[in-house]
Amino acid sequence: MTQRIAYNIIQVLVVMIFSPLIKGIIDRLKERVQSKKGPSIFQVYRDIRKLFHKDEVISEESSWIFRFTPYIVFVAPIFVALLIPVLTDYPLFFAFMGDMLAGGSILALGGFFAVLAAIDTGNPYGPMGASRTRMVGFLAEPVFMIVFFTVSFVAGSTIPYIVQQAWITPVANFFAPAHILVLLAFLMLIIAENGRIPVDNPSGHFELAMIDESKGLEYSGRGAALMKWGGCMKFFVLLCIFLNVLVCPWGLADTGSSWGLLLAIPLILLKMLVFVIILVVIESSLSKLRLFRISEFMGAAFVTSVVAVVIQLAGM
Amino acid sequence: MELLIILLIPLIATPICMIPLKKRGISSWVTIIGTLAVFIMSSVVAFHPVLPARVSFTTLGGWLSCDSLSALILVLVSFVGFTASLFSLGYMRKTNGEQSPKGAQQYYALYNLFLFSMLAVPLLAHIAVVWIAVELTTLFSVFLVGFENTPGALEAAWKYVVLTCMGAAVALVGVLILYWGLRVAGAENFTWQGLLEVAPKIRPVFLKTAFLFILIGFGTKAGLVPLHTWLPDAHSQAPSPVCALLSGIETTTALYVIIRLFPFLQEIPGNSASSWFITFGLLSAGVAAFLLIQVKDYKRLFAFSTIEHMGIILVAAGLGSGAAHLGAVSQILAHAVTKSFCFFAAGSALLVTGTRDISSVRGLIRISPAAGISLMLGGLAIAGAPPFAVFLSEFSILKAGLSAGHYLVIGGLTLFIAIAFCGIMSHINQMVFGAASGPPVRFVLPLSCKATLALAVIPIVALGISFPQPIHTLLQFAAFSIGR
Amino acid sequence: MVQLNALAGALFVLTVFGIVGMRQVIGSLRLFVIQSLLLAGSACILGYEYTSVHLFVVAGITIFTKAFMIPWLLYHMLSHEIHARREITQVLNIPTSLLIAAGLVIGSYFMVRPLLDIGAGAFLKVNLPIGVAGLLIGGYAITVRREALPQLLGILTMENGAFLAGVCIAPNLPLMAELAAAFDVLIIALVVGLLTRSIQKRVGSTLVGKMTSLKEE
Repeated sequence: MTQRIAYNIIQVLVVMIFSPLIKGIIDRLKERVQSKKGPSIFQVYRDIRKLFHKDEVISEESSWIFRFTPYIVFVAPIFVALLIPVLTDYPLFFAFMGDMLAGGSILALGGFFAVLAAIDTGNPYGPMGASRTRMVGFLAEPVFMIVFFTVSFVAGSTIPYIVQQAWITPVANFFAPAHILVLLAFLMLIIAENGRIPVDNPSGHFELAMIDESKGLEYSGRGAALMKWGGCMKFFVLLCIFLNVLVCPWGLADTGSSWGLLLAIPLILLKMLVFVIILVVIESSLSKLRLFRISEFMGAAFVTSVVAVVIQLAGM
Repeated sequence: MELLIILLIPLIATPICMIPLKKRGISSWVTIIGTLAVFIMSSVVAFHPVLPARVSFTTLGGWLSCDSLSALILVLVSFVGFTASLFSLGYMRKTNGEQSPKGAQQYYALYNLFLFSMLAVPLLAHIAVVWIAVELTTLFSVFLVGFENTPGALEAAWKYVVLTCMGAAVALVGVLILYWGLRVAGAENFTWQGLLEVAPKIRPVFLKTAFLFILIGFGTKAGLVPLHTWLPDAHSQAPSPVCALLSGIETTTALYVIIRLFPFLQEIPGNSASSWFITFGLLSAGVAAFLLIQVKDYKRLFAFSTIEHMGIILVAAGLGSGAAHLGAVSQILAHAVTKSFCFFAAGSALLVTGTRDISSVRGLIRISPAAGISLMLGGLAIAGAPPFAVFLSEFSILKAGLSAGHYLVIGGLTLFIAIAFCGIMSHINQMVFGAASGPPVRFVLPLSCKATLALAVIPIVALGISFPQPIHTLLQFAAFSIGR
Repeated sequence: MVQLNALAGALFVLTVFGIVGMRQVIGSLRLFVIQSLLLAGSACILGYEYTSVHLFVVAGITIFTKAFMIPWLLYHMLSHEIHARREITQVLNIPTSLLIAAGLVIGSYFMVRPLLDIGAGAFLKVNLPIGVAGLLIGGYAITVRREALPQLLGILTMENGAFLAGVCIAPNLPLMAELAAAFDVLIIALVVGLLTRSIQKRVGSTLVGKMTSLKEE
């Protein structure tokens, strides 16, 4: 029992500690692919640490939402990390407190406050980015729902641990068409939610074209550090859901021993590394979509997930 | 054996037409002789004393077969093929002219290929191959439709090929479902004959689904509303002899395949095949009759009339009684000969005046008596006036329907025929009579065209008075193939 | 095996959506090639299951005609058309088209349900509805696109859908019929390609949706 609580806390610590590393790896890899040298993979740690030591400058026009949001954005992925399988195969202490829908809602809560905060300050670029984020978000919500429903329908439950088992127990299930289609839809979703190319350019500095980056525009000092870290953690958490539940449910600790747990840490990082490489290839070969084409992109994701549902239901 | 020869003749004629010889016009004569031979052989086959009603005699390892309905279609195809090739002799010489002998060669080569595919449809026994043959009739005629290379002709050819291929794909699924039903019932033989034997054992759901798909798919090719939109364009933009082929027999061959399926569905209790037939038939006849009134182009007029007649044939087939089926096959016969004559007349009018527009042609009978008289006769004949063949067949259909008690259907049908009559006659009257005005005579009608007109008018009048005994027997047996 | 076939079917549906939703002609053509390969894959799987050499031959013919010959023909006849980096004009915008296509997939499942109740086979449950869906969506693509080449791809998609349904429900159709059907598709592509070339030469553009001079106005 205490072991389970301990593992849960270790899981959260893993998420907190390693998420900036993943972001650093992505940035560096992208630069290398473009034949540049790129920053060190630990640069994000240094940035966060630097930001914590700086002063905060807050606009007088903003309200409590602006001050409160960085904490919410930071804490939301932590709560979600309690619920999903990051290191272990079997449900941990908090696993049954919320299912995948709850996880999605908590992340959405973070996003919601980020959007509000962007509007809060009166900066003209904030609301622009916020409205675009909401456009992408509202198009992505149905896909989320349908993906979760499809995936849960097979397993008969919405708890991610149980769903994960359902996909790997007969191995043939892995190749089920609904699974592959759900994979594709979820991949498109991750790209949209985290603001990667082709939906948004994460390394752009041009405020007029920002979608996801705009939420951190006005922050400085501790607020900026928390927003940045929270963004990295959100990405890490979504990746965990994607990789551990859908793509590669193997390599997680299945016994209760602490060695198993420690072994699972480099394995999850390895899985993330592979995915990051694929993501970098996708990002480097596509170009950013024009704004109203994003709805087509999300439409394609939606239709993919609908087809997955139909095939799943009809093939029963 | 004759069946194989019938099929081979046009196939051989095609490459002969393509040979670039010094002597111009050899390809046209080759075609004419070829089609005449085909016609003679088909008549031999059709009026064979042993030709039985439903049991087919098969040759060539079961790939070719022929029973009365097929023989009827065969005779019609070959007759219209012959008269159209005769007409093309003069028509193509005038319109294509001396400039491009290569164009004429291409025309005749395509003509022969097209004829080959249309001859193949009634003769083939295996149903999947019949589908291929119907598809080939489209593909070989696309370039004939677009032969004149004007933007209008190309547009018509495009719509033709796209819509018909769509229909063919749908019909393919229907044919495959039919095959599946056959296999589930345990049979192997996917010919018309085999299907007939196994039909009671096939599960109704297969037959119904396949029927629906094939009706929609081949109905597109036959010009049933609402999938008819390609027909007025294609049948008006093509050169007139080709129009005669398209309207007279190509739509009929598509309808032949649909009608062939009808008896298999009669087995099913509570089937709705006849109501589908009647619905589509009435819809086609009605829409065509109304659209007929506001055409501006006299070839389009005849094209809409084709749609209307296809509708009438379908209604007659769907009415279900033996007399109605006899009416349906005699309507097929009458329509084929009459419509081809109408298009020859329209082609002559086009040659003489140079325009397809109704409002710019006046007093045709004074400009060119042959064209005027034939257009008048053609219009009367196709609209269903006595003493022409179409009148007899339509009358027999109406009578059969009334005696079987389908008052509403027959009432609707009569109304549509009457509307179409008024429409056709008003347009034709406008064109033929009155003071001679309009553009000066473009071409004088060549002798071959006049000869074709004279030749083609004979069956219309003769069959309008009475059907000779051999033809009547053929029709009766053909009617048996439709119904039970 | 069943799962692999189902996977091929699911990817087939995706390519059909792609043909409706693509903006570039080259992309649609590549999707068509992928689609034909998936069809051949499904035929191979079914051939292995039913141990019929016949289906392997069908797969081979499909790859030869649809994955090689047709793109080759189209490249040579219409290279100007294909490589034009124009966007395809459509009547409805892409998200709406995609939604309608999804609706058609669901509709086709309903349509074939009475047939599926009889012949219960795992392969049948995948191939038949997806084939009919391909048919319907291909037909929809023809009505919605305004250009010559995308309409041709719509026709070919319809044929692919019909064949996908066909390899499952009629695995033992005589070989000659299959061969002839395959070459028939080739002839369609040839004819339509030549026609498009004439249209291009004569009319100057292949926006066949704008060729409406023959209406009844």
